[in-house]
Amino acid sequence: MKNLTTMINDLFPAEEANAHCDGPCGVYDPADARIKAEAVLSMTKKILALSPPSDGDATAWAAYLNTMSRYIAIKEEQAQKAKHELLVLWTDFFKPVHLEKYPDLHDTFWQAAKLCSACKVEVNLEHAEELMAAVEKIHKIFWATKGRDVAYYTAS
Amino acid sequence: MFVYLKLLLPRWQRRRVHGRSMHPTLPDGTIVLVDTAVYHHTLPQIGDIVLAQHPFQPHNKMIKRITAVTENGRYFLQGDNPDATETSDSRSFGAVRLDQILAKITHRF
Repeated sequence: MKNLTTMINDLFPAEEANAHCDGPCGVYDPADARIKAEAVLSMTKKILALSPPSDGDATAWAAYLNTMSRYIAIKEEQAQKAKHELLVLWTDFFKPVHLEKYPDLHDTFWQAAKLCSACKVEVNLEHAEELMAAVEKIHKIFWATKGRDVAYYTAS
Repeated sequence: MFVYLKLLLPRWQRRRVHGRSMHPTLPDGTIVLVDTAVYHHTLPQIGDIVLAQHPFQPHNKMIKRITAVTENGRYFLQGDNPDATETSDSRSFGAVRLDQILAKITHRF
């Protein structure tokens, strides 16, 4: 009987009826968080690599402070955006059924969000790299829940 | 054979559930049988799982459960999934009219 039902379904596919529970668009992708986290890592590296002028030249100091200020502003902005993207995934996409398969899901997101905060406040290469690792872990969990094999990559 | 049966039984249709809002009652991918004529002679009841027309999306026919009937005779539809944080049901688009209830889900395969 089961085989007959399967055969009928294969030969004459049933029309779909929607039972959606996602948000209005239903489009989620951890790539958004990854791009922001990469920007945080990049800005952290640039801040650490930027050397102050060796003398008291006012123009050189103005250029240095301007560049450093921009690096800091972008790092903080992108860290905040990364946290937002992670929170959207955590609270809107993931459901308790996912927690059954990934019991450390909450802790993974909590730690990733805290890393965003740390990277915003500090200039810490280790924390920026830990944030990237957390985003990669979330990427793998996310696509596994959708049954898709999507390779992780970085833009930089 | 199936076409023949369909001609004989035009009131019955098969539908494949797409999405998780009716989980765990009707998991994503479940094939169900809907009766398009049952509400021609009876009114939908609270608890019925129905195929309904989305009030704002003409091509969206959805499967939900009737959870209440409003004072003005409209039907409040909800998914069974208790975990839906942003379920697309009457909590977002409001109660639907009787003519937007298209069929009753009577069997699942």
